[in-house]
Amino acid sequence: MIVIDEYLAMRVVGGDWPAGLPDSEELALPASRHWRILQRIHAPGSGQISQVLAALTPAGRDSLRHPHPELLQILDPRPLLDDAAAIAARYGGGLLVAETLAAGLANGRLLWFGVGRNVGGLLEDAAGDLAVTVHVAT
Amino acid sequence: MEAMSTREDLLEERRRRRRAGDPRLSEADREILRRITTGDLAEDFQKALDADVADDPLLGGHDADT
Repeated sequence: MIVIDEYLAMRVVGGDWPAGLPDSEELALPASRHWRILQRIHAPGSGQISQVLAALTPAGRDSLRHPHPELLQILDPRPLLDDAAAIAARYGGGLLVAETLAAGLANGRLLWFGVGRNVGGLLEDAAGDLAVTVHVAT
Repeated sequence: MEAMSTREDLLEERRRRRRAGDPRLSEADREILRRITTGDLAEDFQKALDADVADDPLLGGHDADT
């Protein structure tokens, strides 16, 4: 199973499979990253992203709310929480970074992101220390 | 041999299906997702994601004693 971020999740759902992202394994999104997408769908703000997402058809919104498991699975956060708390205690940061790193540790020590800026310095440093490889898709 | 070929055909069909994305999406839906992830709205999307971390102490982290 390959753990991915919000960008790759939305690209895969939209049929824009990134070059280099293996298509032979299941893809999984940490729950806290799914939460960030869901917030914009259920509680849209005044920003442009919220407005554009509001223009999705009901079926389009549903594809993000309940992704087809063949395309994208949402990781159950419960088995990851203890490792995530330990990671946050050691490296700092919150649930987003800690859960993502715990998910990477539990799934082949590998993480895939859609853009470099979404990795963040804290995650990048901790991933290096934990021997978790971070790929950025093109 | 034939069984192997059938299995490979099924795997290839599954790959094609996955690469095509969710069939529930309309072309307009796909264009919205493309704009947000790799198009003109990608920068705004990242700013929104960054704001989530800054504004939410559970997601972004905070001093556990406060």
